[in-house]
Amino acid sequence: MSAQAEPLRLALLGNPNSGKTALFNLLTGSRQKVANYAGVTVERKEGRLQSPSGKSYAVLDLPGAYSLNPASLDEAITRDLCRGFYPGEAAPDVLVCVVDATNLRLHLRFVLEVRQMGKPMIVALNMSDAAQRRGIAIDRATLERELGVPVVETVAVRHHGARALVERIDRLAAHLHLPTVQLAEDADLHAETRRLLAAAVSMPSRTAKIDDALDRWLLHPLFGLLTLAVVMFLIFQAVYAWATPLMDLIDAGTAALGEWVGARMGEGPLASLVVDGIIAGLGGVIVFLPQILILFAFILALEESGYLPRAAFLLDRMMAGAGLSGRSFIPLLSSFACAIPGIMATRSIQDPRDRLATILVAPLMTCSARLPVYALLIGAFIPARQVWGGLNLQGLVLFGLYLAGILSALAVSWVMKKWRRDQGEHPLMLELPSYRLPHARDLAIGLWERGMIFLKRVGGIIFALTVLLWVLLSFPAAPADATMPAIDYSLAGRIGHALAVVFAPLGFNWQISIALIPGLAAREVVVSSLATVYALSAVDDDAATQALTPLISDGWSLATGLSLLVWFIYAPQCIATWAAIKRETGSWKTMALSAGYLFALAYLASLLTYQVAVRLGAG
Amino acid sequence: MSLQLPLWLQYALVGVVVAASLWIFLKKQLPGTVRRLRIAIATPLVRDGRPAWMRRLARQVAPPPSGGASACGGCDNCGPSSEPKRH
Repeated sequence: MSAQAEPLRLALLGNPNSGKTALFNLLTGSRQKVANYAGVTVERKEGRLQSPSGKSYAVLDLPGAYSLNPASLDEAITRDLCRGFYPGEAAPDVLVCVVDATNLRLHLRFVLEVRQMGKPMIVALNMSDAAQRRGIAIDRATLERELGVPVVETVAVRHHGARALVERIDRLAAHLHLPTVQLAEDADLHAETRRLLAAAVSMPSRTAKIDDALDRWLLHPLFGLLTLAVVMFLIFQAVYAWATPLMDLIDAGTAALGEWVGARMGEGPLASLVVDGIIAGLGGVIVFLPQILILFAFILALEESGYLPRAAFLLDRMMAGAGLSGRSFIPLLSSFACAIPGIMATRSIQDPRDRLATILVAPLMTCSARLPVYALLIGAFIPARQVWGGLNLQGLVLFGLYLAGILSALAVSWVMKKWRRDQGEHPLMLELPSYRLPHARDLAIGLWERGMIFLKRVGGIIFALTVLLWVLLSFPAAPADATMPAIDYSLAGRIGHALAVVFAPLGFNWQISIALIPGLAAREVVVSSLATVYALSAVDDDAATQALTPLISDGWSLATGLSLLVWFIYAPQCIATWAAIKRETGSWKTMALSAGYLFALAYLASLLTYQVAVRLGAG
Repeated sequence: MSLQLPLWLQYALVGVVVAASLWIFLKKQLPGTVRRLRIAIATPLVRDGRPAWMRRLARQVAPPPSGGASACGGCDNCGPSSEPKRH
């Protein structure tokens, strides 16, 4: 057996907003989320590229960096990886420096820093199509001669937009050579950047007129915030208005499948597992896929359009008042998808106390796993009607829940700020990218990824927990002289009844209590667990195939429904988030503090909600 | 027309599904423990003098090289994906 030669290692590096991740997607076929800030790509990503000549390359997508004199952990990671100092990582053989052709004034300085490393490199002049549209004329040959490194135009959002780059990489790989131009160690890079721009670039105006016109309104301290609030509000309205027909279709399909399978399989443990466990459990979660996709379609579109950094700018003052850094915005925004990448994205926050505060409040952002739980409870207890002249009440409540999570995070971080008597200033420097129309292909890729992530979770951990819960709910079987329903004799039934003592003041019955346990592994599992519990508790086949929503709206009081909704605003994070906190902070104490304070908040808030609701007649 | 399998076969199939689910759960929630368990099982099988089939079995059982795996029940989006992209 002969050893295969190691493929050449390429590292993509560049400023945030250079389109580095889009280029990585195009080169490798890996589906990476296209985002504008370093915090989203702080994780190491590697892919494989095969050129037309048959050569294979390993491609690394490095964290975005404004400078190799690091001001944050991810910039330090980029620098150390390029130098070959990063533990366990071989140094890249070729550096591919990705720059935004519409903003060379900022990006060229980074190219000069990378060139100082004295490694084989190529400059990818990305978004060259946008530069042409803006009337920015770049003399590529002159730039290449002045820089002393190959310069290639790319359009990362086009199907063959990296062809020239791949061909140039092939030529460079055949004979690796160092940059032919080098500056002195103490050279003035700003002056050199200006010289290069004068020699090779002519720009009609620094920013597009459209950007200026839009920013006049969207960055206005009053109108900007109003616009942001209206945009978020409309998104949540759309989530309900557009998703309902698709959800009804999935619901009907799941019920029909359960009936069909149940009719064809004789009674027995296998039929119970398939119908009451798998179909009922997974069906209860899959039904929320349309809502998740619609929500993320909007979030992706906002990211693609360049609007989100403006939102960070608008919210900076409010966040600073609550003791959070403006750099907390991106980790907290990431936490709306999942707290784990959000917590990992806090590496971009330099101040350790700000970083800790952000890590501790990130679980309060409403992650996508909570959405099925919210949707189930809102569907069961909030009437589907219009209020205040045409607003969807259910959408309004969902917006309110997300807002409650955000306000709670601000309140908790404010308390932490007072606790540590933090008087420090936390300046925020942001690059505002140009506005652009979201690219349909990147949106579609992002949505496809999000959908696949969700379905993988359904087919993976949610499936596994549903099956395990079915086992706990089905065994041991009821004794011959049983007086209670069979499920009450099962192991899960007994555990649920024991836990119900703890959760009774919150209005949680034993079914809710037992569902909270697998919910620690994945929040959506609460929905599939409830579906399984109620399917197994059903007195006959008709009742067993009923959808979960009407079952709980008939069986629970409004006070219980509201209490459970409030519980999930604050609920302790899933086990995987605990592990992420422990890993990022290196501290069991911080992890325990995070779980403890969230449990306490959730318990108290639910207790208050339930007791007040009961006294108001909703019990 | 309903399919009625023998009870022992039904329990066997249920057992397989439950075992697979337990494995998925352990891999997602306790990846470090599972990794150590796989190494502990595979190591004795590759000792000197072991037959070739045992060594092959050990390679199947042994975990892949570590890529900074974490207890993440999340995106399954770590590491290099699929086949290299051809240009």
